Amino acid sequence: MRPAPTLSTAFLHPAGGSLPEPLAALRKQQGSGLVDLPLPTRKTENWKYSSKYLKLTDDMAISLPAEGKSGSSLAVPGYKVVLLNGIMMPEASDYPDLDGITIERFEDLDSDTATWLAGRLDHALDSRSVQISRLNTARFEDGLLIRLKPGAVLDQPLFIVHETQADASGSAYPRIYVDAGANSQITLVEEYISGGSESVMVNTVTELNLGEGANVTSIRLNMEGENVQHIGATGVLQQRSSRFESHCVGFGGLLRRHDLQVRLEGEGAECKLNGVVVTQDKQHYDNHTTIEHVAARCNSEETYRNIAADQSHAIFNGRIHIHQDAQKSNANMNNKNLLLSNGAEIDTKPELEIYADDVKCAHGATIGQLDEISLFYLVSRGIGRREANVLLTMAFINELVEQIPVETVRETTQGRLNQFFEQTFQEA
Amino acid sequence: MLSIKNLHASVEGKEILKGINLEIKAGEVHAIMGPNGSGKSTLSQVLAGNEAFEITEGEVTLNGENLLELETEERAREGIFLAFQYPVEIPGVSNLQFLRTAVNAMRHHKGEGEMNAAEFMKLAREVSRQVDLDPAFLKRGVNEGFSGGEKKRNEIMQALLLQPKLAILDETDSGLDIDALQVVSNGVNALRAKDRAILMVTHYQRLLNHIVPDYVHVLAGGRIVKSGGRELALELEERGYGWLGIKDDETADSPANASGSY
Repeated sequence: MRPAPTLSTAFLHPAGGSLPEPLAALRKQQGSGLVDLPLPTRKTENWKYSSKYLKLTDDMAISLPAEGKSGSSLAVPGYKVVLLNGIMMPEASDYPDLDGITIERFEDLDSDTATWLAGRLDHALDSRSVQISRLNTARFEDGLLIRLKPGAVLDQPLFIVHETQADASGSAYPRIYVDAGANSQITLVEEYISGGSESVMVNTVTELNLGEGANVTSIRLNMEGENVQHIGATGVLQQRSSRFESHCVGFGGLLRRHDLQVRLEGEGAECKLNGVVVTQDKQHYDNHTTIEHVAARCNSEETYRNIAADQSHAIFNGRIHIHQDAQKSNANMNNKNLLLSNGAEIDTKPELEIYADDVKCAHGATIGQLDEISLFYLVSRGIGRREANVLLTMAFINELVEQIPVETVRETTQGRLNQFFEQTFQEA
Repeated sequence: MLSIKNLHASVEGKEILKGINLEIKAGEVHAIMGPNGSGKSTLSQVLAGNEAFEITEGEVTLNGENLLELETEERAREGIFLAFQYPVEIPGVSNLQFLRTAVNAMRHHKGEGEMNAAEFMKLAREVSRQVDLDPAFLKRGVNEGFSGGEKKRNEIMQALLLQPKLAILDETDSGLDIDALQVVSNGVNALRAKDRAILMVTHYQRLLNHIVPDYVHVLAGGRIVKSGGRELALELEERGYGWLGIKDDETADSPANASGSY
């Protein structure tokens, strides 16, 4: 057997930035392990549909400089932190100095906090399944630590704008860690955008630790350009009675990969994961989710929808793992897919592993096209074919778009969807 | 208004309509009766432009214009309306959004401005009361979870909103109880107008007690085998389709026998 290909040595050069010592040490330690990191191929189960889109050439090993002016002009209601190529831009950010809530860049952490953080990074992720995300831990140059003291409530959503701007090829490694204390509450919006047309990779890791009774809503909106290879991982640890709600909305590109891993570690925790993916042309999008029911009496509810047009390719892999002690678990997973063209491809795989005997667990996956009879019904009322197609396609995801709890995100999503409809459905 | 000449149509290579001839003038109400499988629904679908059916021969004109050349949506904009026998459920599209989109498509076609949400809501509420449908139904998905009767009332509501030139009602009475039948019939009667024609397709004559037709045609084996006035329907009820030498697969449900079972 041929040995699996390994990472280009260009990725082994030390990364820059001025991190506090404990974080720099973690990064170095992780970096030394990269030499053996096997690259995914089509024989690698969790990358089998996506490895062909992954290009980790030498020029990708260059870390993008945090230079230039942020092109972000988003009218953001609430608080905003802008990361340009993974580095925080204080002048473009606007967030309050609030009681009980601290937002700090890694660079500014004191030694104790940096030691505490270094001991926690990567703990919310299963490193075997997010192998490419290990590059992030080896190469991040800055990051954002958001801490909520017990009972703290952020009164407005916090937008984290991840922006990639480059004049040449290279990579960015945004890194976020959220520690939500007991009974604290926050709504986080991560928005990924990009400018320029150079071949770039955004390798991003966000980890969230929800204390007892914490309530966190996370919205992820991927609007990056065609040229971007996006590899994202989100890890969530949930303590007793905490609640996590996730809304992932993504539009395709060269490579889009998001691994969302949730561990329900404390009794009575619950999570709700919604996802909408839209791809067109030769775009790609791959969502891998894992829900670990570790403790008893936890609930999980997952609903993902993919829409693929033209020759695009969308993938959904949803894993639910109910551990032996997780009695009275309640897990529900649903994935529906809409193919808008004969050339489009959708691959979906629900994976259930259940080791407890007293659980309720349901899953369903379907792939279909727009319903001809519904279409006939609509046009028989004088509605144009294009409009009828839009109504039916929108109907497929409406429920999920409406559930996004931040109005500007719904509007941005709808605007981008309208663009998609414009390009996909022509008037007969 | 509507002129059908020697219309032949097939589905999946099987000929269903074998030479239909029919003339309908503005202001008239026609009923087409016939046993199951006679081609009644096919005729409705063909007139509305369902592409699942292939027209192999014949012509259909609406006010002199060749209907068969028009797309379904163009036919609708020219004034054809089909009340479906089985209205389609479309979760995710609200009834209100659907109705407003349809009404505005028609207005756009006529060169009229679009109705805004508030204006339309007012109109929709009025019309929904006319068919005794709670305005709460406007907020629900199109026909989603509606009972059979509610779906039929929603169809008539659409006809009232779209004000077609020719309303084709395909088995609009099926699945209705007496009260719902009364409501639906009132709605259809409200549609009767000098410049509008109505074509009712029905297996049973009971609908015709509420909506009295000017002409009755009997369709069998893909052809109209007998035409007459209102009295023809009564005769059919009395004597069954067998009287005309037509085999009705559902003899047990034939009009004469079924009339008492509602």
